[in-house]
Amino acid sequence: MSRLPLEGIRVADFTWVWAGPFCTLQLAHLGAEVIRIETASRPCITRQILPWPEGKPGINRSGYFNQYNQNKRSLSLNLKTPEALDLAKQLVTKSDIVSENFAGGVMDRMGLGYDVLKQLRPDLIMISLSGYGATGPEREHISYGPAQVPMSGLSSLTGYKDWPPMHVGISYGDPNGGLHGAFAVLCALMYRARTGKGQYIDLSQWETSTALVAEGLLDYSMNGTQPARDGNHDLYMAPHGVFRSSGQDRWISLAVRDDEEWQRFCAVLGRPELAADPRFVTLAARKQNEDALEAIVTEWTQARTPEEANAQLQAAGIPAAPVMNAKDLATDPHLNSRPLFVYNEHPEVGVRQHIGVPWKLSKTPLPVRPAPTLGQDTDYVLRDILGYGETDIAGLRERQVLT
Amino acid sequence: MTERALEGVRIVECGQNVAAAYAAKLMADMGADVIKIEEPGRGDLARHRGPYPGQVPHPEKSGLFLYLNTNKQGVTLDLRQAAGREIFHRLLQDADALIHDYHPTEMASLGLDYAALEKINPRLVMTSIAPFGLRGPRTNDQATDLTLWSAGGITYLNGGGPGTDDMPPLKPFGQQAGYQAGVNASIATLGALFARLSTNEGQHIEISTQECLMSILEFTFELYPYMSIFASRLGQKPIQPLDFLECKDGWIFLCCVEEHQWRNFLEVMDNPEWAGEAIFADRVNRGANWDALKPLLQDWVQDQSVKELYDKAQARRVPIAPVSTMGDLFDNAHLKARGFFATIAHPIAGSLQYPGELYKFSETPWTIRCPAPLLGQHNAEIYGRIGLSSTEIDSLRQQGVL
Repeated sequence: MSRLPLEGIRVADFTWVWAGPFCTLQLAHLGAEVIRIETASRPCITRQILPWPEGKPGINRSGYFNQYNQNKRSLSLNLKTPEALDLAKQLVTKSDIVSENFAGGVMDRMGLGYDVLKQLRPDLIMISLSGYGATGPEREHISYGPAQVPMSGLSSLTGYKDWPPMHVGISYGDPNGGLHGAFAVLCALMYRARTGKGQYIDLSQWETSTALVAEGLLDYSMNGTQPARDGNHDLYMAPHGVFRSSGQDRWISLAVRDDEEWQRFCAVLGRPELAADPRFVTLAARKQNEDALEAIVTEWTQARTPEEANAQLQAAGIPAAPVMNAKDLATDPHLNSRPLFVYNEHPEVGVRQHIGVPWKLSKTPLPVRPAPTLGQDTDYVLRDILGYGETDIAGLRERQVLT
Repeated sequence: MTERALEGVRIVECGQNVAAAYAAKLMADMGADVIKIEEPGRGDLARHRGPYPGQVPHPEKSGLFLYLNTNKQGVTLDLRQAAGREIFHRLLQDADALIHDYHPTEMASLGLDYAALEKINPRLVMTSIAPFGLRGPRTNDQATDLTLWSAGGITYLNGGGPGTDDMPPLKPFGQQAGYQAGVNASIATLGALFARLSTNEGQHIEISTQECLMSILEFTFELYPYMSIFASRLGQKPIQPLDFLECKDGWIFLCCVEEHQWRNFLEVMDNPEWAGEAIFADRVNRGANWDALKPLLQDWVQDQSVKELYDKAQARRVPIAPVSTMGDLFDNAHLKARGFFATIAHPIAGSLQYPGELYKFSETPWTIRCPAPLLGQHNAEIYGRIGLSSTEIDSLRQQGVL
């Protein structure tokens, strides 16, 4: 088998919830050995919430945890004991990367700050993915992914016209922090490969989400004004939106990109007379008469299913897509024809459909192993990486170090 | 001078709008040399989207383009002409990676698929970002940011709300599908470049934007394979409070994920009497009775100022957040102290503030070396470097190749 891109790179992973684990998931997908440091006395929140098969909770049964910790290992360590802290430090000396996403200052107080760890491993790369970052007056503030959406400015620009600010449907701050964090670690690895030097990376989830509001920020920077919320509309395309389809709570999204596409759209609607209608013939006219335009579009879309509308629009080369829910995605023929979904046997939830790696590398296919049960790899780490014997391990276990 | 993290990495980027441009921007800002290829005359579509000063369109003043293309060099090249493709091949000969988001049918029809380009440079990492990937029944479908966000499963989770079921599912501001595909592409590309340090082999990376979006569905995708149910925008209240409330001078987002956070928030509110009612006893009850609870909270919050409430609540470890406007972000003392915004001077658009340093590297800081390129700004320099004389460059320009 071909060598994986990050084969031989080890991550001592102190992260939890979503942002941090999503960062290390990317590294694990690329072949790094990611060792989660966990404790049964305070398990990750994602181990404690649904979905659970048959509605039955269990520390190893959550689909949330099992999705975002694929390809990783789990070491159970109760860091409240001095012996466990010492074991964590030993693991750091054998690791290339340390990752954490506590609030600012927590790792330092545990004695695991970068200043300490780099003494143990001079070429260490360490990344902190906190809500607010490791510097600045609010560095010790507490933050959750859902709150990053409003903080980033995205909510003040998202929403229907004349409605309150709105969310985006997911805790968007978390994956943004995680993905940008994975990119940052890879940059540091490239630099280390060239120079032998490690470094510390301070990432703020707030900032990595704010970066994706750039058009609004540049507008303000240029014009000093806050862009208005405007639903699903687009300044440069019309019609552009999500329209009701036949069926309960079913919708189709579509976009007409230019005047020529509008002509084709009229043919799809079966309304050739609209092609010459001065209310709609140019983008400016369509934007001016957008309410009337959308009424016409809705008349057509609500008479068919999203799939039917999609097929007709795509046949005419017009961008469209049904608004898909989890069931639509899980059962979609296109997605199921691709190597995206993975079906692994997991000891407590059996075979479940998970989303695997959203990128395909032609020469290094990326295998996916199921997420670890809590403490699953404790013996492996102590024995094979840290060199402990069975008696030592039993002693540590007896002294509640490995819980 | 400090060495940059990606110093010496050479990237060629071609595409439109956000995805490929954002992937290459992330790399350029960390020190990679990026050559951005644009269509002669028209240039990247992002140049035609704005925002613009005074909202007057100008291809050198689009805020979207200016943001996405910092630290890059720009050339024009018509890949539809054979002479253009020949020059493209020469650019790729000493490149480490090609990142593009041209539609799959378009790229193949130009003979610019990986099988062809690998022959030009076997060490090349080629990253193709496509709406639905490069294989499967929907491969050739047309898409925009809006339709991809819907196909990725996120639109279905947002908008409307109790009593407003007639409102359609809602997209977020901006071109978020493009950004997500872009950051995924940057990770996969660097992964392949890191692998190449030991294998010395290039490879082809396929990125499906739809799949990148699915991979950030939080736990809502697994609800289906684990419990045969699916989430929608109409049932978003399992744990509360997690909602927007209006203060006297703006909006806040109240977020009490854990029980102690709720208790602390009650103390911030001076323990109102209604808080003792059983229907608000725990987060499940607060969620189920959110319609009754929200007006009570809103009533109290409306007399507060955003800043004071934020400070008071954060002092009690309640993860409340302001709903930042653009002006709030530029004025924010924390972001200022961290130096998040960068002021970048551009010869035509002038000096503007941009979102800047995304992460603080202790050894190889994020840097701005130059603003986004003007259309064709580096033609003479780049084409000269691959051996074209100024006469050849002039002649190619006249033929519309450059």
